Amino acid sequence: MLLMALPAFIGFMTFFITPAVMSFGYSVTNWSVYRPEPSYVGLKNFQTLFSDAQALAAIEHSIRYALIMTVVQNTLAIFLAVLLNKKLMMANVLKTIFFLPAVLSILVVGYLFKFIMTSAPSGMLNSAIGAFGGAPVNWLGDPNLALYSVLATQVWQWTGWAMVIYIANLKSIDASLYEAARIDGAGPMQVFGRVTLPLLYPATSFNVLMSLIGGLKMFDAVYAMTRGGPGYASETIMTTMISTGFKAGRNAYACAFAVVFFVVVFTMSKAVTFVLNKWEAAIT
Amino acid sequence: MKRKSFLALLLCVVLMLGAVPFSAAAEGEVVTLRFMAYNPAQSRATYLEFLADQLPGIEIVFEYVSLDDDFNGILNAQLEAGAGPDIIELGGETKLLAAAGRLLDLSDQEFVAKYAQAGLTPYTWEGKVFGTPLQSWYEGIFYNKAIFAEHGISVPKSLDAFIQVHKDLEAAGVKPQTMGASSWEPMMKQSIGVANNEFYSDPANAGFDALFNTSEVSLAESWLPAVTAWAKVIEEGCLTTDMLGMSYEQAQAEFASGGAAMWESGPWAESDLFAANPDLDLGMFPIPGVSEGPGWLVGGPGSSLVINAKSEKIEAALQVLALTATPEAQIALTADWPGSSFLIGVNLDLGDVYADCAEAFAAGNVYAPWVAVWDFGNPVVEAYGKSLQEVLSGTKTVAEALADADRMNAIMIDEIKN
Repeated sequence: MLLMALPAFIGFMTFFITPAVMSFGYSVTNWSVYRPEPSYVGLKNFQTLFSDAQALAAIEHSIRYALIMTVVQNTLAIFLAVLLNKKLMMANVLKTIFFLPAVLSILVVGYLFKFIMTSAPSGMLNSAIGAFGGAPVNWLGDPNLALYSVLATQVWQWTGWAMVIYIANLKSIDASLYEAARIDGAGPMQVFGRVTLPLLYPATSFNVLMSLIGGLKMFDAVYAMTRGGPGYASETIMTTMISTGFKAGRNAYACAFAVVFFVVVFTMSKAVTFVLNKWEAAIT
Repeated sequence: MKRKSFLALLLCVVLMLGAVPFSAAAEGEVVTLRFMAYNPAQSRATYLEFLADQLPGIEIVFEYVSLDDDFNGILNAQLEAGAGPDIIELGGETKLLAAAGRLLDLSDQEFVAKYAQAGLTPYTWEGKVFGTPLQSWYEGIFYNKAIFAEHGISVPKSLDAFIQVHKDLEAAGVKPQTMGASSWEPMMKQSIGVANNEFYSDPANAGFDALFNTSEVSLAESWLPAVTAWAKVIEEGCLTTDMLGMSYEQAQAEFASGGAAMWESGPWAESDLFAANPDLDLGMFPIPGVSEGPGWLVGGPGSSLVINAKSEKIEAALQVLALTATPEAQIALTADWPGSSFLIGVNLDLGDVYADCAEAFAAGNVYAPWVAVWDFGNPVVEAYGKSLQEVLSGTKTVAEALADADRMNAIMIDEIKN
């Protein structure tokens, strides 16, 4: 039986574990494109990283992005799932419409919204706002807005995907529980809070972790829409790692960034898993 | 059993048949060279056709990766993996890659001596030549001559006049300048154009860039007056924050369609502009300085051809470089991208579009320090350009932007040299 898992194990070792361990190793060297023979430099790359305001800002952006993405996407997805789980005439059509963006590539969505949200005269979104008498908005060029503009496109793309998972979970909830709650006099909000939400735990735990990790990993949409700009306003861990690390040939520095990224993802995932486990314990 | 033997025999025959053309290619009938460049094929179309005609034994596979699409990152990764292209169009990274032993030393090649030293200096590392220059590049302010004429506006000769042109056009209901400032490049180049006027035009600063390579001088101290002078275009509203939400292509399209009267770029955009609007009455003027004068263009020997030291087809790659060092090849190079040649004895006409730049060219007012002299040009100007985006959005000062560039220079010196 163990032999059956060998191909997957070899693949996992070759393409994940080994590169990850190598990244840890290279992060304490001075390896770069311009210095092919690396030597040990201790924690120097980490010192450089943590004394760099732009790198720290990128880490903060990633965490903020991931947290907002997780909350907004899952709130909207649960709302849509509960709504479309009812026997509505157009429910199936609406489910398909909401899910469709998820089949597109993130880069395609990014480039699409770059044209929709541009502040150029050809920008569709500002043209639409203008048609209603509104003032144009600098969606991608305002440092206070750029990251949220990217985030909005990703919420648009992935909410339908999360919704489908929530709907699958809702289908598994025994209808007699709702009936019993209503007989006991529970209103719609109480039914949602006391029956639906606790029983959505399996889908919630999966979706929350996926959107959190996806948010922390964000690269493609930022790359397509803002390139981390204006300035450093929408830089994330991944875009900074690529631009100041690999693009500038500073491979070891990029590896140090990868290690920090691993620690951030691991810590946040563990924290969320801890909360979810507490929740699971409370409802079982 | 017989069936298995037959299948094995058949497989052997197929493999042998498949090997025949491969062997022929390996013997050198047609050598395929990978040519990776950060300028698109259409800007080299005539040159590539010329190479195909003159070198029938060499097939060139042209691979275009724009700088905006991470040319340096992709190239570095390929070289690191030992899978780099044979010939590379390289600019600011030449010295870095030469120092790392990634590039072939061309010093002893006969064709190198055919180029003027000014064209070879940016591609020289520790006395060895690693690249031969393509035609010069330069960036100035493209303008729509018809719009200027319609509103009685003449080409500005000073920064104040440049700002006044913006105000006059705006008063006439015309968008003065468009800029794809979502890219960090245009503001970086425009401000360096003013630094050329105000700083590099002073002979006393001739040695500045060499000292910058060792971090003995800083931009924050030396360039501050020049870049502060340039920043007046932001204070006066010539450059606006909405430009941060526009891409290079969107700004180019707006200018080509007559939606704006000025746009900063270079000759490589000329074919795209005329493709979008064949009737465009196009001109270019140099970036002006504080005092009235001929102005400066940002540019120089912008890119070179280098050979990957690990290429298995070095002889064929050298043939391409040798052929490029002929007047015919230089004419072919400039057919799609007007520029001056660094090949000794070759003088090319730039055409009417660049007539307003003639005085600047005559005075030799073309310079791009990050390509010409700086060892770590690309990361430094990227840090500077991104910080200028923050200057435009009002979250950073000019002094802070220059300090960011200095900091990146110091980091690179520390990481690479020490």
